[in-house]
Amino acid sequence: MIKRIVKSREFLVLALLVAMIFAVSTVNAAVLRPLTLINIVNSSLFLILIAIGQMFVVMTRGIDVSVGAIAGLSAVIFGIALNAGIPLPIAMLCALLTGCLCGSVNAAGIVFVGIPPIIMTLGTLGAYRGLMRVLTGGSWIESIPQSIKTLAVTRYMSVPLMVWAVAALVIILAVLLYRIKAVRNFYAVGDNREGAYLLGINVRATEFTAYALAGVFAGAAAIVFTGQIGFVPMQTGSGQELKAIAAVVLGGVSLMGGTGTIWSAVIGALFLTTVDSMMIFLKVPGSWNNAVAGGVLLAIVVFDYLIRRTVRNRQLAMRAAEMHHAEQDHDTPLQPKEAVR
Amino acid sequence: MKGLTVFRSWEFMLAVVLVLELLVLGLINPAFLNIENLLFSTSDFAHVIIAAIGLTLIIMTGGIDISGVSIMGLASIVLGLAFIAGIPIGFAVVIALGVGIAAGALNGAVVANTDVNPLIVTLATLFLYAGVATGLPTLLDILGFQAYGAGGFEAYQYEGITGLPKTFTWIGSGRIGWVPMPLVIALLLAAAATWLMLFTRFGRYLKLIGVSPAVAHFTGVPIKRTLVAVYAMNGFAVAVGGLVLTAYLGSARSDLGSEALLSIITAVVLGGSSIYGGQGSVLGTLLAGFVLGFMRQGLLALGISSDVVPVLIGVLLVGSVALRIGLARLSTARANRAAFAAERMAVEGNGGMP
Repeated sequence: MIKRIVKSREFLVLALLVAMIFAVSTVNAAVLRPLTLINIVNSSLFLILIAIGQMFVVMTRGIDVSVGAIAGLSAVIFGIALNAGIPLPIAMLCALLTGCLCGSVNAAGIVFVGIPPIIMTLGTLGAYRGLMRVLTGGSWIESIPQSIKTLAVTRYMSVPLMVWAVAALVIILAVLLYRIKAVRNFYAVGDNREGAYLLGINVRATEFTAYALAGVFAGAAAIVFTGQIGFVPMQTGSGQELKAIAAVVLGGVSLMGGTGTIWSAVIGALFLTTVDSMMIFLKVPGSWNNAVAGGVLLAIVVFDYLIRRTVRNRQLAMRAAEMHHAEQDHDTPLQPKEAVR
Repeated sequence: MKGLTVFRSWEFMLAVVLVLELLVLGLINPAFLNIENLLFSTSDFAHVIIAAIGLTLIIMTGGIDISGVSIMGLASIVLGLAFIAGIPIGFAVVIALGVGIAAGALNGAVVANTDVNPLIVTLATLFLYAGVATGLPTLLDILGFQAYGAGGFEAYQYEGITGLPKTFTWIGSGRIGWVPMPLVIALLLAAAATWLMLFTRFGRYLKLIGVSPAVAHFTGVPIKRTLVAVYAMNGFAVAVGGLVLTAYLGSARSDLGSEALLSIITAVVLGGSSIYGGQGSVLGTLLAGFVLGFMRQGLLALGISSDVVPVLIGVLLVGSVALRIGLARLSTARANRAAFAAERMAVEGNGGMP
């Protein structure tokens, strides 16, 4: 078990993350202050949540580039609901439902009509983002009751309440995902759609659920975001869909489907946010953030490919050597048919 | 029957849609049909068409390149910085195009030599190139290059670089006869890409790779070389698009074109290209680009808020693909029915024999 964890991609990225923090701390010791680390986690909550949603989709071999726009639209609905005097819990529910609805629209087009996921979600990316502006007339939602910010400001043991909430959510999800048998369906569908169908898995329902979940998590991210900054700018979630995909891939979920854990999404998102923060501590101008994030992502996926290739080549070489031995042991060479096996 | 296939093609449908669109918009607002206005308004979206032409070639191979919008900004800012550094404008254009080709070739090299999904590769370089484009001014200062004027290059990090010479801005705002230069460049590139697809071996390779990489491999298609070349070509096309937009706006910016991603992919897909590769045409992309561009212009001219435009573009993108899927299902069903009927006739005919 421990060996498997150490060998996993999540662990590699986590190790890189820790190494990076320590490396930066040699230049600027302020990085290692607990408060700094807590703040980094706090600012990565939004990305963590949409990355978890994205993970379900990528696991089923899909992709959802509209999650940022869904988060934006949910945030607008959340803001409007709060301004209309709707109590907080119901407003939250509205945000989550908006996310679920948007995700279901994606799912309907992809699952029932058969539109390629990237096309469908790219289309709804434009549509949701446009709707956001149509709903608000293009202006920010600012006059939100500031009681919402108490959620973000409240701290237990100097850790913000929202961090606790998301951490609890992640742990509960991790346990549930490990325990619930139906979760295996996501892996099965992503790994081999036809095979899953033949096994009697409801492929369409599984895919539908994945996109709907992506929407729900985007809605949750919108709540966190609005709580943290106290108003809803039009750029809410803009460009975050790409970061969410980057985070998930960084954490080791293959776009070919069938792999990934919740930890991939969490660690990938933490990594990307930490890179941004480290730039500040190294006094690198903020304009380089994107370049570094892109460079790291490119380096990691290429590096991962090289490792996989080396491992595969070594396995092939070992198998070839075994067959060679087997041939030498027998006086008569194996039949060609068996040798192929 | 053979003559009719032209009228059944997706490109023909797009041409009909384009004409209908212009007519409807003209009926609502006759001023819209002024030929000069119509031609001139293409300058607003020529860069989208130019970038979409490059992307069509890549999507033909079953790949995708979403980093194009970042390369646009990169080419633009490189041109501007080279100009400020005192490099002659002609040479600056060559440098900017070279950077575009290099950026595209890097995408192609990674896509060709690893099994990493092109979407992920170009997602990474989307961030990388955008970051380099915004960071470049400060980097030049650190490296000690000398800029004309006070404040060094950093002053241009978020502001556009203006004051570009007339000889350069002519490619954005000049015209040959009635036709504005951006449109001329878009049409030239479309013609070149069409020639490439229809009359060269390279074009056949692109299509073959899109249909089946495995078959292409065993047929002896130089897959890696072809992929690097096609991504480099896209880099070139996008850089041209970035420069045309720079010349049109008269200002070199690092974030130029970053809004265009949705429109570019919509133009390619609406133009009939399959995202899975092996299907599509440059003509279709060109026509779809016009349909999209004029729709935007028309809606804005009708006083509809620009906020609604992306909603409509999104709906159009999804709707066009749904329509194609529906048409494909219909024709399969029809073929099945025909085959069934033929089979039945054959069986009945046989049964009638003594």
